[in-house]
Amino acid sequence: MTSILDDYALNSPLREKNNWLKIAITAFGIVVGVSSNSPVTPFVIALCMGIATIRFSKVPASFYLKILAAPAGFVLISVVIIAFFSGNGSEVFGFDLWGHRLGVSTGGLNMALVVLARTISGMSCLFFLSLSTPMIELFSVLKATRFPDSFIEISMMMYRYIFVFMEVAMGIKYAQTVRLGYKDFRTSFRSIGMLATSLFIRAWEQGEKLYVSMNSRCYDGRFILLEEDRPIKRSEIALTSVYFIMVIVVFYSTRNILLI
Amino acid sequence: MHIFEGFLPSPWWQLWFAFSIPVILFGMYRLNRLVSERREIVPLLAVAGAFIFVLSSLKLPSVTGSSSHPTGTGMAAVLFGPAITSVLGLIVLIYQALFLSHGGISTLGANVASMGIVGPFVAYAFYKAASKVNMNFYLNIFLATAIADWVTYVVTSTQLALAFPAGGALTVSGFLSSFTAFAAVFATTQVPLAIMEGALTALIMKYVVQVKGDVLVNLQVLTSEAVNKLKGAVG
Repeated sequence: MTSILDDYALNSPLREKNNWLKIAITAFGIVVGVSSNSPVTPFVIALCMGIATIRFSKVPASFYLKILAAPAGFVLISVVIIAFFSGNGSEVFGFDLWGHRLGVSTGGLNMALVVLARTISGMSCLFFLSLSTPMIELFSVLKATRFPDSFIEISMMMYRYIFVFMEVAMGIKYAQTVRLGYKDFRTSFRSIGMLATSLFIRAWEQGEKLYVSMNSRCYDGRFILLEEDRPIKRSEIALTSVYFIMVIVVFYSTRNILLI
Repeated sequence: MHIFEGFLPSPWWQLWFAFSIPVILFGMYRLNRLVSERREIVPLLAVAGAFIFVLSSLKLPSVTGSSSHPTGTGMAAVLFGPAITSVLGLIVLIYQALFLSHGGISTLGANVASMGIVGPFVAYAFYKAASKVNMNFYLNIFLATAIADWVTYVVTSTQLALAFPAGGALTVSGFLSSFTAFAAVFATTQVPLAIMEGALTALIMKYVVQVKGDVLVNLQVLTSEAVNKLKGAVG
């Protein structure tokens, strides 16, 4: 794992846009996509979000397709199970297995396709947000909500330390690998145990040091963030409204359309 | 076992949110109280959360060949108790959804329920019960973590089977046959994975007892006599 999605968000041109607008677009897509009963609407949402991410956020298309394929394993297995077990209707195809009849019905196949479409649409909405908005921006959004301070504090410090530990972990892993620490199953298990332990102890000591250093700088349990004011431009409102209206129209006109 | 974004249909994703939110609120209440009593706990919890995140992004060597990674929630439950683990789990799951595209926002409620709430609660209950009967510490950690993993995976299968019962309508037999299907397929990766994670966590604890046993005493996981005994037993 060399680069996480946040790295792309930091360089995205969409970073400068209003956070609430981006969150609204994402939430809208997720909710509409998951409530749709036809695969058409999620597909349209996925297409729009994909184009927006690649075009406006300047994410390389090959990378985008790669991360979209990441959940494929889990999703495909589950979709196959749904196709076989869920739904009723006439059988599309089937076979006998140890005296049991296993068959895919039209209902099951439709359900499986809808779920697949929903997942792809949901992922692309999520990618739109995470590839355009670095976590730092989302913290100011969190501050504006009513979450308790301790929760936000812990999230912020955790965010910072994820990168510190990731670097330590990668360093140790590299050092172990060049010393043949992952040559077979037994050695790799021992290596990963040592890696996790030294990470834990390192993390613990770092936490104690952090407390001392922040305390000596008058930390009272609250980080103050400087929030930038980012007005929403008219063109952005126009584009978002067009997208919303189009998705709602598609949602209503295709709600009974099934592929099979 | 993350359920991916968009996978659970209405009303299930809303229902799992309704299940998780009260527990998270209780966890936050406990967290707030703990933080106001012992302020030094904030950085410690933060690094613990970051540790869970990094641990869950490391790939374990897997027997079945599929990529598998530890969840770390069993360990957190033993160290910090289940209520606080649920809050840490929530933050970790949000970060995983945003950074690594594991899980999602609409399925966050269901994932928090399985990985952040039920798994850790069972692990904690097991750890406490087994400590009462003086089970060997490492065996206890191994079992608690492995059980947390298995419970998480059973809950996930239940969530999927409830949302997609066999036959289309939610009946007991439809639920059961769908549950068996999900559970059987995921068992191929989850059963060895849980054993691996249990062994790994026990190994971590072994090193931690030797190098930094006072941490476990501070967290009231072990008494100082128990730490000394374990240290003596090793060498």
